[in-house]
Amino acid sequence: MKKALALLLALCMIFALCACGQQAAPAPAAEKPAEAPAAEAPAAEAPAAPAEEIVINFPSVWVGTDSKAPYMEKLIAQFNEENAGSIKVVVEEQTDYQAARDKLRTTITTGNTPDLCILDTTYDIKAYTTSGKFMDLSPYLAEGWGQDFTDGAIDAWSVDGKVCFLPFESAVFTPIYNTKIFNEIGWDHFPATYDEFFQFCKDAKAAGYNAMGQMAGENGWSSMLWYSLIVEAIGGKDVYADGLKNPAFVQAAEVLKQMYDYTFEGALSAGAGDVNGHWLKRDTAIYLNGPWWVANLYKEENAVDGVLLADDCEVAANPKYEGGKGEGGLVTTVQAFLAAAEQTDPAKKEAVVKFIKYLTDPEHVSELALTSGAMFFVKYEPSPETNLISQKLTQVANDADFTIIHVNGAFPTAFSTEFPAAVSALIGGQVDAQGFVDQLQTAIDMAE
Amino acid sequence: MKLERSDRGPLWAFLGPAIILMLVFFVIPVIYVAVVSLMKWNGISAPEFRNIRNYMLLFKDKAFIRSVTNNVIWALVAGFIQVPLAMVMAIILSRKPKGWKFFRTVYFFPQVISGIALAMLWRAVYNAETGLLNGILKSVGMGHLACDWLGGIKTAFPAVLIYWVFYVGYYMVIMMADITTIDESYYEAATIDGATDFQQAIHITIPLIRRTSLLTCVTLASVMGLRQFEQVYMLTNGGPANTTSTIVLYMYKKLQDSNYGVASASAVILILVGVVFIVAIRKLFEGRSETVKVKKVRAGK
Repeated sequence: MKKALALLLALCMIFALCACGQQAAPAPAAEKPAEAPAAEAPAAEAPAAPAEEIVINFPSVWVGTDSKAPYMEKLIAQFNEENAGSIKVVVEEQTDYQAARDKLRTTITTGNTPDLCILDTTYDIKAYTTSGKFMDLSPYLAEGWGQDFTDGAIDAWSVDGKVCFLPFESAVFTPIYNTKIFNEIGWDHFPATYDEFFQFCKDAKAAGYNAMGQMAGENGWSSMLWYSLIVEAIGGKDVYADGLKNPAFVQAAEVLKQMYDYTFEGALSAGAGDVNGHWLKRDTAIYLNGPWWVANLYKEENAVDGVLLADDCEVAANPKYEGGKGEGGLVTTVQAFLAAAEQTDPAKKEAVVKFIKYLTDPEHVSELALTSGAMFFVKYEPSPETNLISQKLTQVANDADFTIIHVNGAFPTAFSTEFPAAVSALIGGQVDAQGFVDQLQTAIDMAE
Repeated sequence: MKLERSDRGPLWAFLGPAIILMLVFFVIPVIYVAVVSLMKWNGISAPEFRNIRNYMLLFKDKAFIRSVTNNVIWALVAGFIQVPLAMVMAIILSRKPKGWKFFRTVYFFPQVISGIALAMLWRAVYNAETGLLNGILKSVGMGHLACDWLGGIKTAFPAVLIYWVFYVGYYMVIMMADITTIDESYYEAATIDGATDFQQAIHITIPLIRRTSLLTCVTLASVMGLRQFEQVYMLTNGGPANTTSTIVLYMYKKLQDSNYGVASASAVILILVGVVFIVAIRKLFEGRSETVKVKKVRAGK
């Protein structure tokens, strides 16, 4: 009797587990109606089944407080309205940039590439393109759409004639400085050389100001940008030709180390919030970030006594380095590529391309640039309402004799992962400038 | 006891689901990780066999060695400082002094708060410019001690570790539950013999919980120490100069680099370190438990 009871209990347990499995299985199907408009719910009663709506899954970081968020939301809503019943773009909001990168990499690796995604990697383009996981957009671009993009932008990122990564958002990195602070400490111009730059730093420190913001916490973004500027100033346009072997990287590390004497306290553990906070507090004289940040200079909430921060700002060029090769150069990057998953369904493929064309439409991009301050690889007529700082950044970009991408974009991801640790080791005195470069090289070698 | 043939059916029927789940969710993934640890794989291109090169790279990498060292320190601090602290609190509160329920709740409260939230809170406390800690130091005339706690090479790891040591509520509650099952007659007899509260704790309470809740808590705390991630990630991201890195954070960074081979190799090392710790703790407690002669008599038996 006991054995029979035990067997019965065991069977019940197995059935219970099986039942759990069966319940879980139809879950995705159950989610589907939620995506469709409420009016479509009683589809079974309709006389003829309507054509199935194509849903485009779009994980996006242009949401939340991102400067492109308001117009992107409007644009996507407009697209969904124009294509109601046939195409629907569903935005998966990613408010944390690093988490979004991690998630995207995982989904691509596991074969679940989103229908459309935003990537900011430049180094892995070849590997991703040859993986066959992404849609080749070159046939569509050849039909005339490619004419909408700035000259050479698409070719620069094509691999064996395939264009899986469409360069969309560009960025230039050049210092923006607070003229009010400069005037207060007796400087009427931005330093033209790095020698002069450090003279300014001393004056700023003596007057109680931080010369610039640095951060070795989080991803070390600000320090990475400063390092890129110094590397460009010393090494010039061919600085990446021999990887990290170029002596410019060691020299630049020494300059970066000096800069930490003129930043705020706690920069070794600081993140982007700290750097931005100091700049907004007007206790930092020079700011370095991408053009997407320009919109913040015009925000009322960042104004002091009714004066916008932008009113006290001026755009400068990267100072020259004595004996350096970088005069006239500019640090840039592709801030965002648009890439779509390879599709087996031709209708869905067309739908995705239609949406990308919609996003990259010059009129829409013009509006996006105006509202966010960001810069793009799409050729568009700048709005007359474009703010002064954005206009000056565009001017700096146009005036550049040559450009190089920032160091994070020039090397494998292992470089950017190791960068904050290497900077803190350099500043903390654990390694010298050569040791700093060696540490980064070791990280790269490990990933190769 | 030898099983009869007729007993085997129900036995396998009961064990079957658990074995299947264990295989699917633990054994197979571990084997998979072990296999990937021998590969060079970026998640996009085809994996390439590279023998034990990933392991050799790991042991040459100062950041990894630092991560393992930090984890071992963390596990030891957890097992031999955090748990004893919890034990002291449990012994005191199980004597039911005035307000013991309040203190039990207060000590347990951090356990119901997300580790991320706690890390954010402590990040604010340690902030070099606006942090509470430096503020207090300055206000009591010890401003010379104020520093960038999370940015200093020497201060970052102790700063990350120290606040966590005092979150003892979880282990305290486990041990309190165990202590309440000890028969009161032991304490009554000891009191008649003139034993102080301290002597009772040393000679009655601790020996009686040593093989049960104390062993469990030391094991749990050490394993938690080996698995540290979110707290370090939020507070320092392993910096400065990798001085606060842990194995899981190291592994996470290698995954960010799409270096799945090295990430898997570090995961295998983590599993091995975990196994060594668990076996060592059990051996330690088994060896000492031989001297324990007192048997626990549950109330009512």
